[in-house]
Amino acid sequence: MAGGPWEFQSPVAVATFVPTWAADPTPVRQPSLRPEITVAAYRFRCSDCHKLFRSPAETTRSLTQHSHIELKHGINTRCFNCHHIVNRDAFVDDWGNEIPWNEPPRLCAKCHGPVYRDWLHGSHGRSNGYWDMTRGPQVRRKCIECHDPHQPPFPPMSPAPPPNTLRMGDQRPSEAHPGVVDPLRVYQQRGAGGTSEGQP
Amino acid sequence: MTDAGPPEMTRRGFLRKGAATVAGVSAAAAALSPLRELAPDDVPSIEKFFQKHYKEMTPTEKEAVLDRVAREVERRYAVRPHVSDPPPLDGVEFVYGLSITRCIGCRKCVHACVKENNQSRAPEIQYIRVLKMQKGSIDVETSDHHYDPPVVPDHDSYYMPVQCHQCAKPPCVKVCPVEATWQEPDGITVIDYDWCIGCRYCEAACPYWARRFNFAKPELSADQLNPDMAYLSNRPRDKGVMEKCTYCLHRTRRGRLPACVEVCPTGSRKFGNVLDPNSEISYILRQKRIFVLKQDVGTLPRFFYYFDERGSRYHEPIVPVQQSE
Repeated sequence: MAGGPWEFQSPVAVATFVPTWAADPTPVRQPSLRPEITVAAYRFRCSDCHKLFRSPAETTRSLTQHSHIELKHGINTRCFNCHHIVNRDAFVDDWGNEIPWNEPPRLCAKCHGPVYRDWLHGSHGRSNGYWDMTRGPQVRRKCIECHDPHQPPFPPMSPAPPPNTLRMGDQRPSEAHPGVVDPLRVYQQRGAGGTSEGQP
Repeated sequence: MTDAGPPEMTRRGFLRKGAATVAGVSAAAAALSPLRELAPDDVPSIEKFFQKHYKEMTPTEKEAVLDRVAREVERRYAVRPHVSDPPPLDGVEFVYGLSITRCIGCRKCVHACVKENNQSRAPEIQYIRVLKMQKGSIDVETSDHHYDPPVVPDHDSYYMPVQCHQCAKPPCVKVCPVEATWQEPDGITVIDYDWCIGCRYCEAACPYWARRFNFAKPELSADQLNPDMAYLSNRPRDKGVMEKCTYCLHRTRRGRLPACVEVCPTGSRKFGNVLDPNSEISYILRQKRIFVLKQDVGTLPRFFYYFDERGSRYHEPIVPVQQSE
């Protein structure tokens, strides 16, 4: 009540600040889809090192290299379930054959069959570009553009700002009446000196 | 005492009439003074006033109207927009699918939609409302769309975004007294913002709470304006008209995906032509378990919520397997 009861108070709340990431369509991950690693600004192929240093077949010991990788993939706790044990520039399929590095869906399909089927038909996973592929290209995002292969659950994220609209105040169920949403309650609160929306 | 001649103007009578005249004139001036503050946008131009209904316009008249809209936008925002009117495509009926197994309630779709469709920032108008639902319930009365935790998803909830369902039997179209809103052949219900009288009957009729009203002059800064506009979708609106989701028809009628589909980080949103048997949306309708919001009201929505066989595991913390020895 800065200007007294006569001052005009607009019911229009001020515009909410919306960060730019909220409308950014970039995928949550941008893997290179190439068997490469960047060390001190130099880019190496995986095989550059792994030709020289052979890994033991069982890798339950803690890693001495690639120690930033934390493998939390459920019961899949072995590196060579996915990585090819001889050719480190490829993944491995169920028969020990190579899967090229840029086709990770074929690798994930070894275990995640129903999801792979849905991804092939488009009901799982992201698409960008055109729905009408006669008019333009459609990018079907691959598994690892959303899921970290070493920690596959989709990462939690902070939500974009909630609505701050004109008429709709806090309509969450109150403690006095749990489970009941009563729009009139908002006006009662305002009349009793509660805050209007936008001016908390 | 003479009884001839005009009535004598006394000094008292002159002052009284004079004061009344001055008071009257100044009162009239005060009453009319708001007119001086009228911006050019507050008074419709002659061509806008005599503009025909959208369906009665000839192609030439439509061109003139699009040009007028472009000129008005340029005057208001100093940005020259590209205003078009893409027609509905033959053999196309748009249908939307949304996986409530995958949605995490991040609200990116809400803000991408606002950016794409030039909604008012203050008062805030958003077409998509993301309802945080209690698990095991589909009661929208107990939902919350003001949730603001540090991170989503909340493990005890699921999220159900609601926007215009583009119904095949739209109650909003039925109640419009001036036919300012109608269903297009590709299934999108559109509004002619120049024909709407702002009675808000459609808002009351919509069972999905999907229509929005411009109670005040829409506020939108020029640098936030999306210059790719269509007459029936995202051109800037005026105070006192309804607006709602149009499935981004300025994009989708040119083959592109809507802005909310493009931005969804989890791929929960699916869009396509239901008349094409090979489209993603046809697969979803054939193979997935479908849920229609408020099916009992008989609006036949073109918006379907679907499930996967097994739920997302975001609610199950992955426990690292104990390594032997």
